[in-house]
This record gives sequence, structure tokens and C-alpha cells, in this order.
Amino acid sequence: MVSKIKKKTLSFQDTIFNLQKYWSKKGCVILQPYDLEVGAGTFHPATTLRSLGPKPWKTAYVQPSRRPTDGRYGDNPNRLQHYYQFQVLIKPSPKEIKKMYLNSLSSIGINHEEHDIRFVEDDWESPTLGAAGLGWEVWCDGMEVTQFTYFQQMAGVECKPVSVEITYGLERLCMFIQNKKSVFDLIWNDEGITYKDVFHQSEKEFSAYNFEYANTDNLFKIFEMFEEETKLLVEKKISLPAYDQCLKCSHVFNILDARGVISVAQRAEYIARIRELTKSIGKVWIESQS
Amino acid sequence: MSELFVELFSEEIPARLQVNARNELKKNIKNFFIDNQIKFNENFNVYSTPNRLVLHVDKIPNEIKLSSEEIKGPNVNAPEKALEGFIRSNNTILEKIFKKNTEKGEFYFFNKESRKIKVSDLLEKNLSEILKKIAWNKSMKWANYDLYWGRPLKSILAIFNKKPLNFDFSHINSSNKTFIDKSLEEGMKIFNDFHSYLKFFKQKGILIDQGLRKKIIQNKINEIINKKNLKIEQNDRLIDEIVNIVEKPAVIVCDFDKKFLNIPSEILITTMQSHQKYLPTFDKKNNLTNNFFVVSDIKDTKGFVKLGNQRVIEARLSDAEFFWEKNKTQNLVKQVDKLKNINYFKGLGSYFDKIQRMRKLSSLISDDFLISKDKIEIASSICKVDLMSDLVGEFPELQGIVGGHFARFQGFDKEVCLAVSEQYLPNGMESKLPKKMYSVALSLSDKLDSLVGFFGINLKPTSSKDPYAIRRMAISLVRLIVENEIKIKLKDLIVYTCSVYRDQGYEFDIKKIQNELSDFIIERLKNYLKEKKIRQDIIESSTFLLGLDDILKAYKKSLCLNKNIKKEIGIETIAAYKRSSNILNTVEKMSTESLGFADPGLFKNDYEKKLYKKINDIRKYFLSIGKDENYEESLKILSSIKNEVNDFFDNVIVNDEDIIIKKNRLELLNMLCKIFDNYFNFSKIEA
Repeated sequence: MVSKIKKKTLSFQDTIFNLQKYWSKKGCVILQPYDLEVGAGTFHPATTLRSLGPKPWKTAYVQPSRRPTDGRYGDNPNRLQHYYQFQVLIKPSPKEIKKMYLNSLSSIGINHEEHDIRFVEDDWESPTLGAAGLGWEVWCDGMEVTQFTYFQQMAGVECKPVSVEITYGLERLCMFIQNKKSVFDLIWNDEGITYKDVFHQSEKEFSAYNFEYANTDNLFKIFEMFEEETKLLVEKKISLPAYDQCLKCSHVFNILDARGVISVAQRAEYIARIRELTKSIGKVWIESQS
Repeated sequence: MSELFVELFSEEIPARLQVNARNELKKNIKNFFIDNQIKFNENFNVYSTPNRLVLHVDKIPNEIKLSSEEIKGPNVNAPEKALEGFIRSNNTILEKIFKKNTEKGEFYFFNKESRKIKVSDLLEKNLSEILKKIAWNKSMKWANYDLYWGRPLKSILAIFNKKPLNFDFSHINSSNKTFIDKSLEEGMKIFNDFHSYLKFFKQKGILIDQGLRKKIIQNKINEIINKKNLKIEQNDRLIDEIVNIVEKPAVIVCDFDKKFLNIPSEILITTMQSHQKYLPTFDKKNNLTNNFFVVSDIKDTKGFVKLGNQRVIEARLSDAEFFWEKNKTQNLVKQVDKLKNINYFKGLGSYFDKIQRMRKLSSLISDDFLISKDKIEIASSICKVDLMSDLVGEFPELQGIVGGHFARFQGFDKEVCLAVSEQYLPNGMESKLPKKMYSVALSLSDKLDSLVGFFGINLKPTSSKDPYAIRRMAISLVRLIVENEIKIKLKDLIVYTCSVYRDQGYEFDIKKIQNELSDFIIERLKNYLKEKKIRQDIIESSTFLLGLDDILKAYKKSLCLNKNIKKEIGIETIAAYKRSSNILNTVEKMSTESLGFADPGLFKNDYEKKLYKKINDIRKYFLSIGKDENYEESLKILSSIKNEVNDFFDNVIVNDEDIIIKKNRLELLNMLCKIFDNYFNFSKIEA
């Protein structure tokens, strides 16, 4: 693979740099990933909590995202239990957001006049966050590369003003740019390091952990502990630490789900419990904003 | 005469919502013209692309004349301020006000003279309201605005008689400009009429008229398939969706590696159609080919679009292939036990519990159907295993179908495989219906088990909510029975299903389930008959005496009477019945000690005797016919009594002075009505 690299191919890390530079010029606060396990960039408090309340806010950041059930031991060319999202959140949603987005694609080498860019209906809902939005998934020549959402509700509260969230699936996007059939063949940097070099072992081992070794008895207990902690912190009216505990609940739940020890009925119940936590935190956060 | 031309430019509105908005806008604008008595070309159209919602109405007068009218003001005794206000609001002077008596007292009046109003003024005043009235199936807010729209609305162009209309709609001011470039929302351009607008965009390859887009797509596809000797499946829903997600359609033929054709075709088709909006192609023998159509929204000058889409489908198909290869060899029988870990429904156990029940139920049904008990039990046991496969995880809409393919691959009996494939069919009124008895038996037992279960845990649908699609389940059950002409004792099957649940430890109130479920299924039968355009009174009659075990009979009798009701035998049958039943209804109620039969010894004339004999003949006919009743024949037999009935009524007075004679004659008429009940209760039929 290494010998085939063309000089001009945009590497995985350059893709990130370009997007960061682009959105930085648009006035976004460039943040670093949140330091807890989350399922998507949306869970970063810079999105969930900051999308609530009246204060304007613009941010962009990379967020490692964990989806334990999607692990395939590194065997599947398109699936990972750990992957990267590039997330942009702007409140209130600017008038020219579509133009900004299309130009951001140009900054990573995708010219919308040469490709079939489509905005395909995809309304979004997150039962654990008590959130819902309307928008699209953006297709580039048939491949989904971005989620584009106008938040209507977050933590059970109606969003006013409305934020717009743009989430690029970085691996998908790079596979498109680099013309690769397997995520593991992605060129990470100009030195020829590939995605496989960086993450293959981790995919293998974490799949084993998520599906086989995670101690479910303990995890059930840990869930309860985090839940209790969240409630306590909500009472103390400190929303950010409370939210951290809630994120931990959410991740523990995801592992339990991957281990297949949560039945359909239980699943709904756990999701409802996390949603209740998020809602109570949202309330405390909004109070702190006024 | 002038034209009204409005364009609402927004971010991409989903296909379904465009259709919804077009219809709403069309309806609202039509109402506006009608309400204001403005003439307009009723054959007007509303067009849309993902970004543009366009209204064009022509042949509208520039002015309308309002005739003079008397406007009622305040009562003469009202305070002076009221009068002053009245004068002011009508823009007139005191001298023009006059008094007039009405029923409610004396009032001030003002005579508003006939006048002309500019339609453009009316439009400017009302367009905002008209737009606000659009009832979106789903809408959203954005930024700081309070407006709800399908997707963010960016500009409004509004022209009447080549001049801009000025109005505000929420935060947007209308103008005579719109964006030329829908992607970057750049390049504002002025348009003063619809035709120059259409022409301008046509030159850029953009077709505003969705009908035209559809034609162009279809023509292009037909051209290619004729050349390549291919076929496509008629799929209006998909084509209509595609038409509404492009503005300058370009049809591209793509292909994928032929090796993927080894995957069951349903998987390939679902991937292409529902996931990617591609159109798969078939050869003349209806085999799926590796060619497919992509409708792009851009001319693929550099070949990127074709390449990209081919890459996407190959990635998706390799995923599917990986799962197919992995899943097909996983032994179905060995996996049955694992169904214990999968919840069927809270309160109704696991899927393992469900298939145990289905196995017993289908085994009982197999006796009636005269099919192999072994085979239907095997089908029941393995039918839900595919729910645990990666493929069904990826393609939930292919549950059952995928299981059928696994079974085929693992060498199960042909009929078993088909039954597994078709277990979920029919799925509602429109869906395909299984015809083979194994499939019918498996589908029946699946649906019965679910219906009894959901009623057992009291999750019946309410008038507005049916989250588990239980109505559809029951309609499907009715269709299975009626359309396959199956004779089964549904009542017994429901009781048996309850007992199977009880064996597993589920204590349901059997009596309650029987009653409620029976009513519920009969209601679905009525809906079904209604769909078949059967008269309402016939529907009511057919289900009056016939119950759950006679669904097929009720259907056939309704159909037969519906067909004949305007023909001679129908008219005569009903006339004979009505003449008799009317007497019974008008004469005071038959005394409670009705014997149920008349005493021939009390007959006073031949008319009574002849009628009595005829009644007995017909009764014998109904006693002699078995399962294969010919319903048309039965109607004919019933109608043949008309002579005896007419002779009887023309010559006999039922209301005899002798109370015993009178009662006997009423008994005779009662007997007559009763034999009609052999067909069904005619009392609800309207003559």
C-alpha cells in the first residue's frame, strides 16, 4: 500500500486539519475531544448542553465515538466500534449554513460541481438525550458522508434559538476522498501510516471485551452507581459534573447492550432512565444560563 | 387577464413533504379565489423541486367589482362614540348615515357603493395568510424565527401581472427575485413572469415541472432498457420519490460485480431500492441483472458519479455477501434453542415460547388442511431463527424471506422453505397473499398467536392508536381465510390458542378474549367487505347471525346478494321477506308463547296451505344442502316463494276476528321469515 501513495492524496489527519482550519475561519471555537466515552459527537457537552438556552455558540471538534455493538473484530472493512466524527454546532443556525457546508467540502477536495451532492431526508432522534431534529443525511455520489440536523428539541426542552449540527463521518469521508474500499487501508499521514497500523489491534481487542469479557454483573452495579451519583449532583445543581456521570451511565448501557444481556423490554426501560437523567440535567443547565 | 406566479425557495424539502405542500398550496389558493369570487384558470398547477415550490395561476382579472351593500352600524340608542367609530371605520361622513328599523330595533346604516378592487391588493393582503395555512405533515423551526416550514425558507418571489407583489411572511419580504444557484444560494435574479422563469431554468437543465422530470427519466430509462434488452419493475413509489429529489435528472447506468448475483435477489433489490434509491434491472426471464440505474442530479461529465455509486453499492453488497455467507451455513435447527434469549413481547415470553405455541397451533390446523403434520411442525420450529441473523439485523424488512433462503440452502423441504418465506404474508389489505397450504397454516398460526396474546395482555388497539399493527394482523387473518376459501373453526382455534398459552403458564381471561377478539375480527371482516364495495346494509345483515366460524360464508353470501340485489331474484327475495316481516312488525308483538310453527289444522283456505307447503319445501332444501352450498341457487329458491306469498297476502286477511286463527297466521309468517334466516337475516336489508 505504502508505495502507492500519491503526493496529492489528502491524508486522514490532513482532512481533520483542513476542516478545523475551515471552521475556525468561520468563527467556531475549535475544541478538543471530550475525555469520556461517548456514542457520538452530539453527546459532547459542547453540543448537548450548549445547544440549550439563549446564548449564541459556535464550535467544531473531533469526537472519538464508541458504538460497542458495531465492533467486528477488525474483520469488516466498513464497521468499527470506535471511530471519529467531526462535529460542528452553530447556534442560532446561520442563514448561509448550506453554502458554508459545501465550501467545507471543497476545502477537503470535494467540489460540489463535479459530484452528485444530495440532501436526503433524515430526521434524527436520540431517545437517551430526549432530543429530536429535522434535517438530512448528505450523500456524495451515493455515499452518506454527513448528517445535517436542525435541533428542535434537546433534553426534552424545545430549542430556542435552533442550533444546526453538522456531523462528518471522518472515516467514510476519507474513504471517499482516498478512494479506498476498506477503512483499514486509509492513509493516516504522509509518512505512509495507515488506519490499520493505528487501530486494528484496538478494534480486535475491544470487540472481544465488548462482546465476550465485559463483566456484566459489575456493569449492572456500576450503572446504578453512576445513576445515583448523577441524581445527587443534579440536586446540588452542578450540571456539568452531573452530565459526566450520565455519560458514563450511557456508555455502560451500550456495553451491556453489546453483551446481549439486555432484553427488548429492559432496553426501553434503561433508555428511559438515561433520558430522565439528561432531562433533569438540562433543566439545571438552563437555569445556570439565565 | 393576468397571471399569479409565486416561488418559495428553501433548503431541500423531502419528497413526501413536497407533495404535501403542493397539494396544500393548491387547495388554499383555490379557496382564496373562490371565496373572493375571483375568476381564475382552474387547471392551474403547483410545481416543485427540492428547493422550489412554485405556484402558477393564469386568466385572473386585474380587478373585481364588489356590488353595493348596506352596512349595519350601532343601535340608535348606543353612545355617540359608537356612531363616530362607525363613521370613521367606513371612511364616510355623518350625512351619508341613515336610520332604519330592524327586528331588533332601530339602527344606523351606511350604504357602501359598488366599487372596484385590485386583485393585486387583495393578493398582497392575503398571500401571507394563504401560506400560513399550509398544513405540513412535518415541519420545523430554524435560527431565531417562529415560522414553521418543511425546511428553512429563504426567499419568496411573488408576481402578479408582471409586477412584484409586496408582502411579509414571517421574517421574509417578498420580491421579484430568487436564487439561481440552489447549492450555494447565490446569484439573485429578477423574474417578471412564469414563462421567462421556466425558460431560464430549462436552459440550465433544471426542470421545474415534476411531471416533465418524470417523463424525461422514464423515457431515458426506456431507451436504455430497450437497447440493452432489459426490464425494470414498475415501481411508482420509487420513481415518484426520485422525481422529487432531483431538479436536473441525469440517468446513469451502473453495474456491480456479477459475483454478487449469488446473494438472494431480495437482498440486492432492497439494498438498491430502499437504501440507495437505485432502480434494479431484470432480464427477459425476470432474473436480476448486475446493471442498475442511478438518477443523478448532475451531469456526470468526469465520471465521478458513476464511479462513486458503483463503489457504494459494492461496499454495501460485500457487507451483505459477508453476512449471507456467514449466516446461511449456521444450522437453523441448532439455533432454535437460542430463541430463548430473544424476547417476543413483554408478558408473552420469548420467541422460543412463541414458536412452541405456533407449532401446536399449526399442527392442529394441519388436520383441517390435510397437510403433513411433520412438515408444518418443522416450519414452525425454524421460522423465527432468521431474526437472530446479521442479515435480518441489516434488512429487517426481509425477515422471513431471508429465513426461507437459509432453509433452502440447508436443504429443507420446498414447502417448508416457502412457508418460512411467506409467514408474514399477507401484511394488510394490499399485500401479496400466500396460496400454498403450508404457508397459509404457518401465517394463520403466527397471526392467531399474536392476536390472542395481545388481547390476553390487554393491548388491544384503541380507536386512534394501534402501535402493534393489530388491526392489520386481523385484516390479514380475514384475507387468509376468505381469499383462500378456507373452512376452519376460528372459535375453536382461539380457545385452543388460549389453552396453549395456559400450558405455558399465561393465565388469560379466556371468555373475555373470546368475546373481544371475536367482535374485533368481525369488525375487520366488515371493513373488508366495505373495501370490496358491498352495500352497508348487506354487510350488517351478513354479520348479524353468522359468527367467527362463518367468515367465509358471510363473505360469499354478501358477495352473492350484493351481485343480485338489483336483479329479479334479489328484488323478489327481499319483497317476499319484507311483506311478511312488515306485518309481523306492525301487529303487536307475537305473544311470548309463540310455538315456532303454525298448525295446519287451523288453516282455512288453500293459500295458507300452499304457503305452508312451500315453506316446508324450502326448509327441506336448506336441511339437505351441506358445505358446498350454492348461494345463488339458495337465493333463487327463496325468491321462488313469491307467488305463494303474493297469493296469500292478496287473498287472506291476517287480522282475523278469531284470535286463534289470527295467531296461527302470524305463526305461519314467522316460519316464513325464519327460513330466510338460513341465508341470513334480511331484516336489516333496505328494500
